[in-house]
Amino acid sequence: MRMFRDLVKNRGLYSMAIPGIVFLVVFSYIPLSGHLLAFKDFQISKGIWGSDWVGLDNFRFFFSNRDWIQVTVNTVYLNGLFIIFEMVFALLIALFLNEIRLKWFKRTIQSVVFLPYFISWVVVGYMAFILFNNTDGLINRVLGMSGLQAVNWYQTPWVWPIILTLTRIWKSAGYYSIILLAAITGFSSDYYESARLDGATRLQQMRYITMPLLKPQIIILVLLGVGRIFYGDFGMIYGIIGDNGILFPTTDVIDTYSYRALRQLGNFSMSSAIVFYQSIMGLIAVVSFNALVRKIDKDSRLF
Amino acid sequence: MNRPVALIPPAQVRRTGGISDKMAMFMFGLFLIMFALVCLFPFWLMVINSFSSTRSLAVNGYSIWPDEFTLESYRFLLQGKQMFISYGITIAVTAIGTAIGLVVTALFAYVLAHPKNRYGGFLSFMTYVPMVFGSGLVGFYLLVVQWLHLKDTLWALVLPYVMNPFFAFILVSFYRSLPYELNESANIDGAGEWTIFFKIIRPISTPVIATISLFYALQYWNDWWLSLLFIDNSDMYPLQLLLRQLMSQMQLTSLNHGNVLTLPPAEGVKLATVCLTIGPIILVYPMVQKYFVKGLTLGSIKG
Repeated sequence: MRMFRDLVKNRGLYSMAIPGIVFLVVFSYIPLSGHLLAFKDFQISKGIWGSDWVGLDNFRFFFSNRDWIQVTVNTVYLNGLFIIFEMVFALLIALFLNEIRLKWFKRTIQSVVFLPYFISWVVVGYMAFILFNNTDGLINRVLGMSGLQAVNWYQTPWVWPIILTLTRIWKSAGYYSIILLAAITGFSSDYYESARLDGATRLQQMRYITMPLLKPQIIILVLLGVGRIFYGDFGMIYGIIGDNGILFPTTDVIDTYSYRALRQLGNFSMSSAIVFYQSIMGLIAVVSFNALVRKIDKDSRLF
Repeated sequence: MNRPVALIPPAQVRRTGGISDKMAMFMFGLFLIMFALVCLFPFWLMVINSFSSTRSLAVNGYSIWPDEFTLESYRFLLQGKQMFISYGITIAVTAIGTAIGLVVTALFAYVLAHPKNRYGGFLSFMTYVPMVFGSGLVGFYLLVVQWLHLKDTLWALVLPYVMNPFFAFILVSFYRSLPYELNESANIDGAGEWTIFFKIIRPISTPVIATISLFYALQYWNDWWLSLLFIDNSDMYPLQLLLRQLMSQMQLTSLNHGNVLTLPPAEGVKLATVCLTIGPIILVYPMVQKYFVKGLTLGSIKG
């Protein structure tokens, strides 16, 4: 009753949240019903609710061949590479930018390294193609000119984790460096002043003041990444690799795999089983990540 | 103020570091310049080769400085109608999506941040859950295609991204920073929450609103995931999907070991398409960059 009275009394306020709630429910909560299909034999004519239950058959099918191991390993391995190298480069850029005293230089560098973040993965995929394609790609031409054997990049799976990691550094290191730099700007200047009084060089200040102070921020960014380690970056992988099956052994992630199951095979149930498996793994990752954060820094936990 | 700076002899300061500060600053600057150049290089390749002549592209492939410059790719591109269609779709999706997204998210965030709201915790939780537990591709696909019947419509590209939890939380932390007295004085004058929001809150939140609308605009401009899922009709292709289709054809021909099929001016036309796609972003980037930095800084406060 009190709730009802409160809702009536503040109806003006609450009504403002209605559009947001509607969008949230429709596009984030109703799709959850798709998880049911993981346990059903989906037929469009019968719909989600009318289709027959098949127990764990879809999972049995998904786990019956070795694909699931490959896509899981790829997802975790690639995300791990991305998180580590993005952070290392973001940290270097932020630390170095912080030491630069020339205003215009600092501003220019910051703008330029942030720029790739604004480009879609389709365009990035095209850039990769210009550099790596077999016949007239720039890298093969340079190799040719220096008398080296051209490499058939798009048919060489093992190089792609490296190329993808480099691409990721190129695209997001600048973005993360801005977050880190914002944190650095917030540090009290008292620390630096007293360090200067004790005769610390700028390098020492960087090493013994900035880096330790930055640690919580870095840990949070890394752990946020770890929490999503079972979610592959579909836009990135599909934008750069596309449907090039030769490269799947090292680049196919859970998201691209379930996408193909849905759009190319039209196998809704199979795709749901994969996505359900991913959501469960993701949930485990987030919960353990949160427990970990709680240990390290209580205020930064999610829930 | 009197600081005992003079107590430390300069010589001692210099002795404490391993390599000198000057040397270190030089290395930092060098690293930053190198990284910035790497960031710019792919952009350079795109732009410069889009002005390359068909012959030059066919003979030399992609190069850092083409032999001949021409506008033929652009001229060819602007003769057809696909480019105009795709541009129109992308602009429409970006404009409509940004407008709706902004209103819905701002209202929702305002309620979340309001001290009178008793369900703030519940609403925040409701907004967090989808970020943690993936709702799944299949349910989402069925929702848009089977239940809302939005396949091959503009709305399929707009509606799913309207409510963005991350942007909402940035706005929440901004609204929380406003003094509540603003509302109270207006309340006494008998103004309802809607009036307060549009008359008082909206005008003072212009900077953060600008930031959020840029985030939205970028999200819509660069997205191709929704169009990949829901658009089959080429009259509805947004720019990014158009590019993606051009690209997948290229990769195919690359796999067939040759550029027999990729006859010019196809190559140049694709490059010109990329340039026209990223052109608007590059043009507005210098002006809007500082808003993005501000938004990131705001967002990182809340984690």
